[in-house]
Amino acid sequence: MKIAVCIKRVPVMEVKFVITADGTRVEETGLKYDINDFDLWAIEAGLQLKEKHNNVGEVVVISLGPDTAQEQIRKAMAMGADRGILLKTDSAPADGLAIARALAAELKDGGYDLVLFGRIAIDSMNQMTGPMVAELLDLPCVTNVFKLEITGATARAERALEGASEVVEFPLPALLTIDDGMNKERLPSLKGIMAAKKKPLEIKAAQFSDVRVTITKMALPADRAAARILGDSSAAVPELIRLLQTEAKVL
Amino acid sequence: MSPSNIVFAIILVVALGFFTRSAQRLNRWLKIGRDENRTDHPDVRTKNLLLIGLAQTKILRDPIGGMMHALVFWGFCILALGTVEILIQGLYTPFTWDLLLPRFLYLPYVVSQELFAVFVLIPVAYLLYRRLVIKPARFSGDPVHGGDAVFILSMIATLMVTLLIIFAADLRTGASPDGRIVSSLLLPLFGGLTPESAHTVSRVSWWIHAVLILYFLNHLPGSKHLHVLTSLINVWFSNTSGPGRLGAMRPMDLEAEDAEQFGASDVEHLSWKNLLDGYSCTECGRCTAVCPANITGKLLSPRMIVVNTRARLTEKASTLDAIGVGGTATAEQQAVLDKNLLDDWITEEELWACTSCRACVQECPVSIDQLDIINELRRDLVLMESRFPEELQPALTSLERNGSPWAFSASDRAQWAEGMDIPTMAELVERGEKADILFWVGCMGSFDDRSKKITVAFARILQAANVRFAILGQEETCHGDPARRMGNEYLYQMLAKGVIETLDGYAVKTIVTFCPHCFHQMGNEFPDLGGNYEVIHHTEYIERLLADGRVPLDTEHGERLKVAYHDSCYLGRYNDIYDAPRTALKRALPIMELVEPPRTKDRGLCCGAGGGRMWMEENVGKRVNVERSEELLATGADQIAVACPFCMTMITDGVTGAGSTVPVLDISEVIAARLIPGGVTA
Amino acid sequence: MANVLVFAEVRGGELRKVAYEAVTAARALAELSGGGSVHAVLAGGAGIDAKAEALAQYGADSVLVLEHAGFTQYNPEALAATLAQRLESGTYAYGLFSATSQGRDLSPRVAAKLGVGLAADLTGLAVTEGAVVGQHFQNNGKVIATLTLTGSPAVVSVRPAAFQPVVNARALATEAITSATDPMASRVKTVELKQGSADKLDLNDAPVIVAGGRGLKAPEHFALCDDLAAAFGNAAVGATRAVTDEGWRPHSDQIGQTGRNVSPDLYIAVGISGAIQHLAGMRTSKVIVAINKDKDAPIFKISDYGIVGDVFEVMPVLTEAVRKAKAEG
Repeated sequence: MKIAVCIKRVPVMEVKFVITADGTRVEETGLKYDINDFDLWAIEAGLQLKEKHNNVGEVVVISLGPDTAQEQIRKAMAMGADRGILLKTDSAPADGLAIARALAAELKDGGYDLVLFGRIAIDSMNQMTGPMVAELLDLPCVTNVFKLEITGATARAERALEGASEVVEFPLPALLTIDDGMNKERLPSLKGIMAAKKKPLEIKAAQFSDVRVTITKMALPADRAAARILGDSSAAVPELIRLLQTEAKVL
Repeated sequence: MSPSNIVFAIILVVALGFFTRSAQRLNRWLKIGRDENRTDHPDVRTKNLLLIGLAQTKILRDPIGGMMHALVFWGFCILALGTVEILIQGLYTPFTWDLLLPRFLYLPYVVSQELFAVFVLIPVAYLLYRRLVIKPARFSGDPVHGGDAVFILSMIATLMVTLLIIFAADLRTGASPDGRIVSSLLLPLFGGLTPESAHTVSRVSWWIHAVLILYFLNHLPGSKHLHVLTSLINVWFSNTSGPGRLGAMRPMDLEAEDAEQFGASDVEHLSWKNLLDGYSCTECGRCTAVCPANITGKLLSPRMIVVNTRARLTEKASTLDAIGVGGTATAEQQAVLDKNLLDDWITEEELWACTSCRACVQECPVSIDQLDIINELRRDLVLMESRFPEELQPALTSLERNGSPWAFSASDRAQWAEGMDIPTMAELVERGEKADILFWVGCMGSFDDRSKKITVAFARILQAANVRFAILGQEETCHGDPARRMGNEYLYQMLAKGVIETLDGYAVKTIVTFCPHCFHQMGNEFPDLGGNYEVIHHTEYIERLLADGRVPLDTEHGERLKVAYHDSCYLGRYNDIYDAPRTALKRALPIMELVEPPRTKDRGLCCGAGGGRMWMEENVGKRVNVERSEELLATGADQIAVACPFCMTMITDGVTGAGSTVPVLDISEVIAARLIPGGVTA
Repeated sequence: MANVLVFAEVRGGELRKVAYEAVTAARALAELSGGGSVHAVLAGGAGIDAKAEALAQYGADSVLVLEHAGFTQYNPEALAATLAQRLESGTYAYGLFSATSQGRDLSPRVAAKLGVGLAADLTGLAVTEGAVVGQHFQNNGKVIATLTLTGSPAVVSVRPAAFQPVVNARALATEAITSATDPMASRVKTVELKQGSADKLDLNDAPVIVAGGRGLKAPEHFALCDDLAAAFGNAAVGATRAVTDEGWRPHSDQIGQTGRNVSPDLYIAVGISGAIQHLAGMRTSKVIVAINKDKDAPIFKISDYGIVGDVFEVMPVLTEAVRKAKAEG
């Protein structure tokens, strides 16, 4: 099996983000980065599939991002991916389609049996690149996959919905986006990290066509204040219900 | 030479020949292990040999059994002189030391032989009685070689009895009675014998004695009683009581280009010293008896870690011997070689049960380092195979991403300090000021709400004492100790080097922290990575401040309390700090009564959080924190004092779980509660 | 004047609440751009046309009914083709979807077919000089980006619950439409819909989690949590490590560093003090309610609403109130 896994370098989220003075970007100084969680599960899914097929085939990791995204590609290779491709750009556009086109151009002639994405990138939270690439390459596409069985050239997957799931069948080659619950990613061993240093990593410039989505402003949501104490007995319940309905809008 | 001398000479040559072969084999097998220099600091090593080896200080921690063993040991040392005499007699019958020694030396020699024959015989009888009748728990449980112990003890008893018979029978045949203080008492037993019969009895006993010694010598190499020969050597080469920093994990070179194995999955990845530990273990079980994991029903037994290391070495090395250099292995032989120490002899479950509390190491009378083997095997699991309990993954991932084992934001690190007017190092630099000490808060102190109260309490003490201190705030990150204990040396070094860089950036010299794990890591393990600081635990720091009268305390008022102090392993066994927390408590609460649980100080029972256990599930057996908390509550204490945020969590959980409302407080909280507001010291 | 094509989400033959939200949002978008028509696409198997009325109630001027056995289950390929074909017709300035699993599967396909931009998961909508301007959470919800989407048609998806459905009744007008491709020939076939059973939701799926701690004192008291979860109907019950360690609940229910990481819309912490190990697994929940008798419990520091009281007294009342609110809602 030849599997491509598209991954993204994203900031570590346990920080207080700061908005730049011009109000359009998140300050990057001091941020740490890692592979997007969902992409880790996509990598893991790819590795497990290859292992299930007696390690015949190849897992290729593709990332669109800055030069430093090589770190994330190396990490994926430390986990076990065979080689990596970086589509290098210093400023990726906010337009998911522009990114999808750049990725599709790279994937088009790759001869992949399976293209895997994470369900969502936790930085842009666009959750659109995968199905867009599928459309551009005319591949069958299943999103939010958390269970997968491949038998020859056909496959069966289960995709997550809100509080439900769907079982789908589709032929290969195909493009899938991987959701939480599919697996738990392996941590690279030091042995893997050493081996990854010697694996091939190709760097190309990413090409973007017309961009129609732009970020015009960035802001921080209001801070979460300490709990509003509503009372010391069940007398506070009506007020709680009211707040859950009108303010928090969760009831 | 008489015919009997010739016969004995043949026996002697054969026995020594066999023994030499065994000794060479054992020595060759040791070389399967990795090379390691253990000849540094010969002064410290020799001191260890004298104290732990010859003076038997560690074995005497068990007052009865220890004294019995010590008598046997010292007896053997003294009786060795007599043994040489006997072996020479085998070749030249009339020989006695009397021929060589002046009278004033020979007489004490005779007395010593007489006395120690008894001093050995009595404990051996007791030890046999203990093995066969009392049967202490630590002699069972593990599949160990109890039968061999009985056999050896019986053999020693026979040696002593034959020796006394020789002495007494010789008196009957007219030997000098000078100094024969024991055998002269036995003489009446031989009164009915003619001198000729007595001579025969003496000769027969002599033969039994001499042959038994030679048999004993050859029995040792294949048995657990090899320790008779190796333990003194082992004590000299051991690092468990120094030289070096206690409990510091083995340094590891991750940059070595040719390194292909990290940690150990089989005996060849261990050091020769780990293998010598195997030779030196006599399966006494003192380690297992104090192991918190074992006590609470987990699979781990430190004794079996060592016993299995020896067994795997024997299995593998003897197979390699059988194959020979350049030989081809049979299928069965290959199957033996393909096995591993890890998994085939020691399982993952055992390794992850360890709390790294160091009780086993502390207890071993011959300075075996069980923990070193466990750590090396854990390293292989994580670094080579990425195999570990799945619940560790969030902690490891968070350490990598957030510089803390919990996924909290570094920007929240100094939240506790809001409104307290505590500067960060960065702020001081900006102002052009300097701090005397860096208060290292630690991840628990920064993020755990309960621990934050300790942080605040300690900061208030520092402020009350007018100490010029600063924190790192957002710049603090975990030094990676949890990762290191979990076996992830790679992550550890990454984090530790980052911290050292930060500390050196501010030219930090003195660090005070209330987390014993931070304290141990930064003080004892950072030097291997080039980070050299004076690191002080807050209990010692507070104790110094109190001793200097720098903290305005109200020591007059308050109710009389019973306080039990729980020793942290990383403070106690890792750093020998037992008195400072107790003295600090007494200074702050002169009217309190300090009570001790049965297991205390260097025998203190772990809270269960060490060795990365804080981030693991505990599903087998009784929980360690419950065991410990029950013991602390049983002292009848009104308060339990701790000196570690991890102990705090575990003991609080245990106390609450037991339905008790006894408060668990950090030493600093006890002291801070006695601060005189706005007080000035005299 | 700009017309909006909105996709009304159906699951198992029933319209979902998000469909009304989407129609409401589409209505708003139409008004923002000077008043246009809202056309809702309603796809399903036989009899789906019966659902058109409800969409008209929320403001759909016209309901385009795509009724075919091939749409009984979700059929992304044929739906994407049909929606793209409609949007390409020049009638619409905007295509609008719900940012649900289905909408976020479908909208990118449509946008890619059209070669236009997509602004996803918007929580606010405006139109400036013909461009859609919308708010979109980024970085795990820690920053809010304002996106500007140019070009026509512009495709957007709106976050569930961001637009509360508003009744804005129109006279029902339906139009039967046909699929742009043979719905039976799609390569991706949905063969089964597994509706989550309401009483046993997985912790990671449940929009509401009721979690119990040691404050419940005994395993049998977890019934209080089970009852509250049942009252919500879409809730799962979790527990702290102390509780699973005690064996009161199975280990799989554990929320925290060594258990499950969850971030539901609503998290109700019952008798939980908030140890570091627990907070690490739930602090990203959107709304947190804590009930605990210790006012100093750390859980209150990260909660939105708190009741400092006896869980045994508060819980039955809360359960009843939720049951009532649900029945009315």
